[in-house]
Amino acid sequence: MALKYAYYPGCASKEITKESDRSTRKLAKALGIKLHDMPKATCCGAGLLTDYDKQLTLAINARIFAQAEEMGMDILTICSTCLMVMNTVNHELRNTPGQLERTNKLLAKAGLHYSGKVEIKQLLWVLNDDYGLKKLKEKVVNPLTRLKVAPFYGCHSLRPSDALGFDDPEKPVSLENTIRAIGAEPVDYSGKTKCCGFQIDLVNEDLAVDMTGKRLLDAKGETFVSRIDDINIKGADCMVTPCPLCHVNLDSYQEIAEKRLSRKIVLPVFHLSQLVGLAIGLKEKDLGLTRNMVSPESIL
Amino acid sequence: MRVKFKIRRHDPAAGGKRKSYVQAYDIEAAEGMSVLEGLLKIGDQLDPSLAFRKSCRSAICGSCAMTINGFSKLACNTQILPQIKKHGEIVIEPLKNHTVYKDLVVDFSSFWGKLNKVTPYLTPPEESPTEEVRITKEDAEAVDDSQKCIMCGCCNGSCNALEIDDNYIAPAALAKSWRFVGDVREGNSTRRLDKLSTEHGMWTCVRCVHCTQYCPKGVKPLEAIEKLRDRAVEAGITDNHGAKHVTSMLDSIKRVGILDEAAMTFKTLGFVRSLGMIPFGFKMQMHGKMPRPLLFPAIDGIDEVRKICKEREKEKAKERLKREKKK
Repeated sequence: MALKYAYYPGCASKEITKESDRSTRKLAKALGIKLHDMPKATCCGAGLLTDYDKQLTLAINARIFAQAEEMGMDILTICSTCLMVMNTVNHELRNTPGQLERTNKLLAKAGLHYSGKVEIKQLLWVLNDDYGLKKLKEKVVNPLTRLKVAPFYGCHSLRPSDALGFDDPEKPVSLENTIRAIGAEPVDYSGKTKCCGFQIDLVNEDLAVDMTGKRLLDAKGETFVSRIDDINIKGADCMVTPCPLCHVNLDSYQEIAEKRLSRKIVLPVFHLSQLVGLAIGLKEKDLGLTRNMVSPESIL
Repeated sequence: MRVKFKIRRHDPAAGGKRKSYVQAYDIEAAEGMSVLEGLLKIGDQLDPSLAFRKSCRSAICGSCAMTINGFSKLACNTQILPQIKKHGEIVIEPLKNHTVYKDLVVDFSSFWGKLNKVTPYLTPPEESPTEEVRITKEDAEAVDDSQKCIMCGCCNGSCNALEIDDNYIAPAALAKSWRFVGDVREGNSTRRLDKLSTEHGMWTCVRCVHCTQYCPKGVKPLEAIEKLRDRAVEAGITDNHGAKHVTSMLDSIKRVGILDEAAMTFKTLGFVRSLGMIPFGFKMQMHGKMPRPLLFPAIDGIDEVRKICKEREKEKAKERLKREKKK
């Protein structure tokens, strides 16, 4: 049976990282995964709404889950922050006694109800678990054998692990395995599960950009990193991330990071869907590569 | 089973010039043995010069926090064999974000300094209460998690923001702040929230979730930070970028349902700083990445969203009233 999901790209991919949404749709089509739009879905609140009021965040997200329930599907998102927020909400609704009832009382004001049964997955999870990397490997027509790729998980695809329940936040393998499945070589580096800085871009840009720069230099093997076997670290040709918000910082803010660090970085950063799309033979135009601010032209 | 411990050692006092180095030790480890027991064995049998802190051996004193295979952990409640199974070796480094005294012993004065800054004790209201304040189960539960803190420093050691900004108040002191701001007996919550809303305060948190993930006692500092921010906005302490960021998100959801990035930038940064974003905006636009300014159609069913928000706001106001009556 064909895989099908209620598709929740997240706000960033509807606007500033449209290429992530477009390439995901093309990729899903090529793999035979059906994505169904959710025209009634709101923003998940991105954690900021939790800062305003947790109870409201629970209700706003439960409303999104109720739609998926009506559609009879699990949710697929392509944003790690949406993934984290939604799974944290779902975990709370399922595990805190009384919380589902309390939230449903709020939903009832809008004539809605959520049973607690929807799962929220990320494209990375779907490729690894539901679709399967073996099957993905068979689809590869353009193995990216020349590329050394730095996997960038960031924070919200791994933590809090009790709510997410996928991969190991201390030794994740899902991105590395995906990179291998498309013929490329994953590069290990110290910052791969750390923060890109996105959450405070508007609040404290200097701090955010310092963080971004650090992650990029780590991936290039150009900083002193505290891992003990750092001598063996090979610099990456490019980076891949499952999260469009990480992409904003690592790609769009890269030039600002260069200015702050007074050094060139020039590390192309791909959305997961773009890199996998390249390997299965999708056209560069369909993947929106020209929308990436650091051009990947030189390494392709 | 023979296992390898690779330990980052450093003795800044000895000559000062020598950099940190890694020393490896082979020891025999049995099922159930903790990393701390491994370190004690090394100290007893192989190298008495290895420095590390320890005391209770049962995750209560908070002395043995260190970086084990890249993440902040207590040596006493981390078992050797599962780590070996996962990583193939045990790599131990001092707790990150702290200055090293010697080997695995770090200087905790910055940790205590941050804690002192948040006045880590209850302060009474100006007018003393005339009768005792009754604490309900609910009241106690509100600050329960933050009371579990053993001040080991695992959260600060793994904090991504503290790594960049030494002056950041950091998760341990913020969890402690919630312990008092969230206490119905506290008389100066608003003053505390005001102070935490300044530079290097609670709005510096990048929500990396490391503190909550690596706290060995389930304190969940990130949740404490979220509650502090909630209370600050509720108390009207909104004249800062962090709080504006939050209220613009709420506006956006109520108005159109999804995030209006352009409006958020403008509302968070204000007019003058938004002007500063124009050159960057042009570059974004060249790649088609400029967010549409204020032209969003609302999502289908926006009325549902507004009804939910309205109902919750009523609830929230009642909750606040109930709390204030207590004081």
